[in-house]
Amino acid sequence: MRPNFYQHIHPPTIPAAQARWRYTLGAGGTAIFLVLVLVVSGALEMFFYIPSTGEAAISIQTISFLVPFGGLVRNLHFWAAQLLLIVSSVHLIRVVFTGSYAPPRRFNYLLGMGLFVLVILLDFTGYILRWDTGIQWALVVGTNLLKTIPWMGNFLYQTLVGGTFPGSATLVRFYSWHVFGLMLLAAILMIWHVFRVRRDGGIAVPPPELRGDPRRISRNELVHLEIVSMLLSGSALLLLSVFFPAPIAPGITEITALSGAASAPWFFLWVQQMLKWGDPFFWGVLVPLIVLTVVGLIPYIFPKPSRQDTGRWFPTSTRLAQIVLAVMALVITALTLIELQPVP
Amino acid sequence: MTNRFLFISSVILLTTIGLTWWFQSRQVQPVAITPSLTGQIEYCLTCHADLKEISPAHPLETYGCVICHGGERLALEANLAHSSMRGGNNPSDLSVVEQSCGGSNCHNGDPTEDHDHIQRVMTSIQSTYAGAIANVRYTFGAQADLSPLLGTVAVSDTSIPSQTGILHLDAFDPIIETNPFLQTFGANCLTCHLNSKAVGDLKDTRFTGCAACHTPIGENKAGEVHTLTTAMPYTQCNTCHNRGNYDLRTMTFIERSDQPVTRFESYYQPIGQFTQCEYSLDCLDCHTRTEAMGDGDIHANEKDFEYVQCRTCHGTLTELPLMKTLTDPDDLAFRLTQLNPVVDLQLGDTILVTEQGEPLWNIRLLPDGNYELIGKATHQLFTFNPVMGSGCTQDGQDQSSAYCHECHAVER
Repeated sequence: MRPNFYQHIHPPTIPAAQARWRYTLGAGGTAIFLVLVLVVSGALEMFFYIPSTGEAAISIQTISFLVPFGGLVRNLHFWAAQLLLIVSSVHLIRVVFTGSYAPPRRFNYLLGMGLFVLVILLDFTGYILRWDTGIQWALVVGTNLLKTIPWMGNFLYQTLVGGTFPGSATLVRFYSWHVFGLMLLAAILMIWHVFRVRRDGGIAVPPPELRGDPRRISRNELVHLEIVSMLLSGSALLLLSVFFPAPIAPGITEITALSGAASAPWFFLWVQQMLKWGDPFFWGVLVPLIVLTVVGLIPYIFPKPSRQDTGRWFPTSTRLAQIVLAVMALVITALTLIELQPVP
Repeated sequence: MTNRFLFISSVILLTTIGLTWWFQSRQVQPVAITPSLTGQIEYCLTCHADLKEISPAHPLETYGCVICHGGERLALEANLAHSSMRGGNNPSDLSVVEQSCGGSNCHNGDPTEDHDHIQRVMTSIQSTYAGAIANVRYTFGAQADLSPLLGTVAVSDTSIPSQTGILHLDAFDPIIETNPFLQTFGANCLTCHLNSKAVGDLKDTRFTGCAACHTPIGENKAGEVHTLTTAMPYTQCNTCHNRGNYDLRTMTFIERSDQPVTRFESYYQPIGQFTQCEYSLDCLDCHTRTEAMGDGDIHANEKDFEYVQCRTCHGTLTELPLMKTLTDPDDLAFRLTQLNPVVDLQLGDTILVTEQGEPLWNIRLLPDGNYELIGKATHQLFTFNPVMGSGCTQDGQDQSSAYCHECHAVER
């Protein structure tokens, strides 16, 4: 039989260490499962969602309350998207904390970073598609941040918003980016990323002579593990979707940032907190870009892990990269928690 | 080992699916209506099935709920469903009435078809309180004369058919008044007009806007009333009128302290004189829609548009009251009867009309030359005769109520 993509990512045998949950945390595989859930649930939502300013919010209510199991499908889409961001972050942290970005995996690390950015953008565009009073602040403030970028700010704003203020053109553009532009890029990068995992020798593990567990597992065993992971992730996703419905609010009648729920989506709360400190371009655009750039360039600007450190948690040779990422993650988490505190 | 994990995971997922199914089956099943005016599904009845239809003129299957109340028509969560309701539980509040009750086919349309209720109410003295504000500001030196300059809200008019109409009123803002009495006046006394919620013990007695009159609360609590009627009892008028006096020295409103038992006692003003019809009938049996809701012009004082007097129904020594025989099935009188069918009006019936041509559709000419009146709120039957041909010795030129009270007032 001619080799296919499935066989490419599922070779006849792989080192058991590459499939150990304690090492991989199952994050990459779970992310792929969540993407599949997102594609299926999103496709179902497309039959009912209407990307117009007057009907977007009510069409989401139609999905939530009128369509049989529509609420469940929407909740699955919402929670899969939130979990994808969390799982992607865990995946990134795991890769850095195990020094797995070392050559020959530096390029695939960049592909992964690209995917991470796309997941954030997909989450944000999906959030805006609600077009209800809950997203007004993020829409107005988020798009206005573009204007603060020197030289090209207004051009970027016009390109994304499609006018001088958010309206019908904005919603259609966000919709097109969400279901087509970003999705297409994400699909290409994801396939490329997974393809490169095998091309780079599979998941980074210690070299054979330093490997504690020399066993290899078969393709069947790998698939079994993947299925177990999918079943457990699916259960968690279902429970979240049933007991914690996705946020919903009345439609926007007049676009203003001064709505009662003046808040960014949770993954941008740290930026929202920083915006209170002063210059919006510096805190709202430059600092997040610097954070992203530093994380993206970890394989290139920090010391490479030594060969004997490959595939181990917290190798000493990459301590600096670990500390930098840990500090960034802690600061972002702390800022998010501060922003979550209710305003007295 | 892997198979065991697979089995356990499968059991967990199946259990979760079962739990999901059970949870979904316990969700509230929506009760849908699709009003013919909007053609859009509404789920409001899921929770509000026991709410009675608001009026025969607004059938549920035609109007539904959302066209008047706003709100999120598909939401099954109370907070979301109610989040965008117009005017809270009162969509007729004047701040939102145009969206709720307006529209050219409803209550914001052509005056010649009598669809202009909102325009008339917004400019009426019941809403602007213009005369009272002018009087108090003049008394405390804030303006040079009694000219009406300010209303509770700013209003303008472009067409002024009446002699006493005003082009424009600015909004009265007590905060910018320099006299502390006027600031207190703004805080304590502007509680009767249609924009204001009732205060004190009366806070549960009436709503604002159209519902102030058309939704009698009676013994019910304000939140439990879902009705609109054109048969308002006098008690609804009394939620503003006849309920106390202003004290200009302290700039406060003094609620009446007595507890009237009979209808006659309810008119408590010590200097008041009343004929039998004034305490037997309801206010709206005599006073017309134009008098209550305004004539479309901005006026300052009651005397500018209150025009019904004793002779409107009784005539004078030399003239019978004005009458009209119904020949047109589309006559306004028939429309008004449909809204409050206390009289079975027929083509060919002769009814009384006012000096301004408004139909007194609940008063019919009897074959013997007398008249019958059916109480709009009480459904009681009254008969009365014209002055012409009676023993009355009135001066035909003096038709003020005080003049008629000279002979016809009941001893108090």
